[in-house]
Amino acid sequence: MGTGNDSILEAFLFETNGLLEQLDSIVLAAEQEDTFSDEDINTIFRIMHTIKGSSAMMEYDSLMTIAHRAEDLFAIIRDKSISVVPESLRPELFDLLFQTIDFFRQEIDHIENDQPLTQNIDSLLQKINSFIQQISPSADGGAPAAQAAAPQAPAPQAAAPQAAAQSTTAVAGFPYSLQVFFDEGCGMENLRAFMLVTSIREICGDDDFTFSPESVEHDPSTAAQITESGFLLSFRNQADRDNAIHVVTGAGSVRTYQAIDHPEAAAAPAPAAAPAPQPAAPAPAAAAAPAPAPAPAPKPAAPAPAPSHPGAKAEGTTHHKESLISVSLSKLDELAAVVGEIVITESMVTGSPELKGLKLDTFTKSARQLRKLTDELQDVSMSLRMVPVSATFQKMNRIVRDMCKKLDKQAKLVLVGEDTEVDKTIVDSIGDPIMHIVRNSMDHGIEENVQDRIAAGKDPVGEIVLSARHTGSEVIIEIKDDGQGVNYEKTLNKAIQRGLALPGVDYSHKDILNFLLAPGFSTNTEVTEFSGRGVGMDVVKQNVENVGGTVTITSEPGQGMTTTLKIPLTMAIMDGMEVSVGASIFTIPIHNIRQSFKIGQSDLVHDATGGELFKCMGNFYPVVRMRELYQIEGGCTEVEDGILIWLEAGESSYCLFVDELLGEQQVVVKPLPSYLNSFNIKRSGIAGCTILGDGNISIILDVGNLYTPVQ
Amino acid sequence: MEEDRVFSSSEEELPYEADRSVTAESQKYLLFLSGGLLFGAGAEYVVEIITNHQITTLPLVPSYVRGIINLRGQIIPIVDIRLLLGQEPADENCIIILNIDDTLVGVLVDTVQRMLDVPTNTLLPAPNHDQQKLVSGMCSLGEGQTMLVFDCHQLLTQS
Repeated sequence: MGTGNDSILEAFLFETNGLLEQLDSIVLAAEQEDTFSDEDINTIFRIMHTIKGSSAMMEYDSLMTIAHRAEDLFAIIRDKSISVVPESLRPELFDLLFQTIDFFRQEIDHIENDQPLTQNIDSLLQKINSFIQQISPSADGGAPAAQAAAPQAPAPQAAAPQAAAQSTTAVAGFPYSLQVFFDEGCGMENLRAFMLVTSIREICGDDDFTFSPESVEHDPSTAAQITESGFLLSFRNQADRDNAIHVVTGAGSVRTYQAIDHPEAAAAPAPAAAPAPQPAAPAPAAAAAPAPAPAPAPKPAAPAPAPSHPGAKAEGTTHHKESLISVSLSKLDELAAVVGEIVITESMVTGSPELKGLKLDTFTKSARQLRKLTDELQDVSMSLRMVPVSATFQKMNRIVRDMCKKLDKQAKLVLVGEDTEVDKTIVDSIGDPIMHIVRNSMDHGIEENVQDRIAAGKDPVGEIVLSARHTGSEVIIEIKDDGQGVNYEKTLNKAIQRGLALPGVDYSHKDILNFLLAPGFSTNTEVTEFSGRGVGMDVVKQNVENVGGTVTITSEPGQGMTTTLKIPLTMAIMDGMEVSVGASIFTIPIHNIRQSFKIGQSDLVHDATGGELFKCMGNFYPVVRMRELYQIEGGCTEVEDGILIWLEAGESSYCLFVDELLGEQQVVVKPLPSYLNSFNIKRSGIAGCTILGDGNISIILDVGNLYTPVQ
Repeated sequence: MEEDRVFSSSEEELPYEADRSVTAESQKYLLFLSGGLLFGAGAEYVVEIITNHQITTLPLVPSYVRGIINLRGQIIPIVDIRLLLGQEPADENCIIILNIDDTLVGVLVDTVQRMLDVPTNTLLPAPNHDQQKLVSGMCSLGEGQTMLVFDCHQLLTQS
C-alpha cells in the first residue's frame, strides 16, 4: 500500500491525526450546542475534503470513499445551513460523525501498524448515504437530492461551456487574466488549482478575482479540463494580478502561466452590470459572472458562500504553517543530550582543580558569562520539549461523552489549566493514566441513579474536573469527581477478598485508599466495557511512577473522589545538593530539602526501638543515618561532626544524617544501567546517577523511596 | 545469536565437524586470568580493556557488583567475576568492557593475556553445564593450558 515513501506516509499520518483531533473537538463542542455553526460546517467540510484528497493520493481507498461521502453530506448542510437537519435527526448526525471519526482512527491505526485496510465499509457508507437521503428531500424538492447524490454531475455541464469560452474571452468585470498550466501528469490538477485560489485569496479580496473552472474544490473531473486548457484566474485590478503571479510562480507543479489582458472586457460590463449589485452581494455575483447561462440554477449559489469562509480559515492555517515546524522527537532528545554534556563540561572547565588558588579576573568573568549562556541554552532546549496538556485533556471529552451515552449517566467534564506545559515524554505517559481515572470516575464515581444525586443535594449532572497546574518543580494533575466517593467498608472487604488486606486488622482510610492502587484490585464486581478489569489503577500508578511521579487518592464519602498525579516537570536536568558520606558522594534533589541542622547529641531523642528522632517545628521526625542505611565504610558517627538534612517527599518526611554538604549543583540525570535493575536498586532509594565536574559519579537519591527500606 | 549457534554446534554436531576438520573455522577469543583460571571471552563481545578506573560503589547490591564507572559519559556497571565465582578478591583493577546484546557490562579480572584464534572444532562442551558458573565450553590450547569459554549471556542472567 501507499507509495513506500516513509516521509510522505509520516506526513500523511501526522496531518490526518491532527485533523481528526480537530474534528473530534468540533463535533463535541457542536453536540453541546446541538447545532453546527457555519464555520464548523465549513471546517468539517474542509477536513473531510483534505482527508479525501490525501487518502486518494496515498491510495487508501476506504478512507477516501468514506471521506468523500461525508464531504457530500456536509456539502448539503453547508448549502442549506444546519436547519436542513431537523432537531430530531441531530443526535443521529453526531453519532454518525463520531462513527466516521472512529472509522478513520481505526484505519489510521491499521496503516500505522502496517495492517491491511478494512475492506468492508458498506455499513458505514450505507448509514451516511441513508442520512443524506433523509435530509435531502426535506429541503426543496428533487433538485438538491440530485445534487447531493452526485455533486459532480452538474459540474461538467457547467464547466464544459465555460472551458470553451474561457480560453479566449475574459470574464466580465475581470479584465486581467492569468492562465496557469500545471506540470503534465502531476495529478489532482483541480486540487492544485484550488490551493492556488486559496493562496491568492490571501493577497486580494474574494470579490476582486474569479477563477474558472469554478468547481475545482469538489469536482475531480475538472482536473482533465485544467490539464487541457489551463486554469484561468481573472482579476479586477492589474496590481492584484501582478501579486498573483508571484504566488503562482511560488506554487508547486506549475509548468507555465500566461498573462492575458482584456481591456475591452473591463470597459464593457462596468456600466452595464452597475456597481450596485456587485458590492451588495459580492460572493454570488462573482460566482455567477463567469457562468452566465449553462449552469443549473442551484449551482452558482452553492459554491458562493463557501469560499469566503474557507478563505479566512486558510489564512489562519497558513500563518501557523509559517511559524511552526515539526521536529522529530529523537532530534530533540539528541539536543537535550548534547546540552547535558555541555553543562557537565562547563562545570568541568570552570571547576578544574588546576585553577585552584589562581586569581583570574577575565577568566572568572567569561566563565560567569558562559554559565549564563549554558543556563539559557538549557532552558531553551527544555522548552522545546514542552507541550501543553490540552491535547490529552481534550481527548477526555470524548470519553466522558461516550460513557455518558453507554452508561446512561449525566456528566460534564470541566478542564482547568489546559495550557500547562510539560515535557513531551511525560504527556505521552500520562495520557493513559488520566483516561483510566476519568473512566473510573465515570463508572464508579458518578452515581448510577440521578435520583441519588438529587437526594444528596447535588446537581443532577455530574461533574468531573480535570485540572493541571505547576508548582516550581512539579506538575500537579487532579482528576476530581463529585460522585459518591469511595465506600471504605466495601473497599476493605474487597481488599480482604483479594488477599491484599488481612481481616481483623484496623486500616486507616488512607491505607484503604491505597488498596485501590494495588495490582489486581477492582471495586466493581462486574466487568464493564470501560473499566472494572482490575488493571486500571495499578497501571496508572506504574505509568506515573515510571516518569518519577506519585499518585494519591483522597475521597470523602458522598462528596466524590480526587486523584492527584504529581509529576516532575522534567527528568533530565535538576538542581541537586551534593553531600558526602565517607568517600561516597550523593546528590539530593534540592526540592526535597526543607532545612539542614547542625545539632548535638542532646538534641536527639530515642524511641523504644532504639531509633533516633529529632524534633523540629513541633514535630518529631525519624533520623536516618546514611552511613548505616547504605553500610558505607568511613564517615562520621558522632552527630556533632556531621549535618542533619530535613527531607520531604510526598508523604514521607525524615531527617538524613550525612557527613558534609558539598554544595549546590545543576546535574544531568542519567539512568542507572539496565543491568542493575535486577538488583531492585530503585527500591533502595536510588533514582539515578550523575557525572560530576571532575568526572566522578554521584548517586542521586530518591528521597521518597530512601526511607522505605528503613521501615 | 551467532554465538549460540556456534556453541550448540560445538556441543551437538561435533563428531561430524571433527570428521571434516579440513574446513575448520576459527573464532577469536580474548584470554584473561581470573583467580588463576584461564578464561576466553568471545572477541565479538569485547569492546575495550581499561585499567585503573575509579569505581563508584553502589549501596545495597551483592558484593560482586563492584559499582559503576563513568566511561566517557556512559555509565557502566562493573562485575567482579572473582567474587561471582567464589574466588578470593584481589586488588588488580583491569576491566574488560563487554557488549552483550547491547548491554554494556564491565568485568573485573586479574590480567588480560592476549587474543587467540581457536578453531571451533576444538571447543568442547563444559561438563555438567548446570553447575558450571559462567563457563559454556572448554578448549585445550597446548602447553598444558586449558581455556574456559566465558559465558557472556549467563553474566546477564546471573543475579
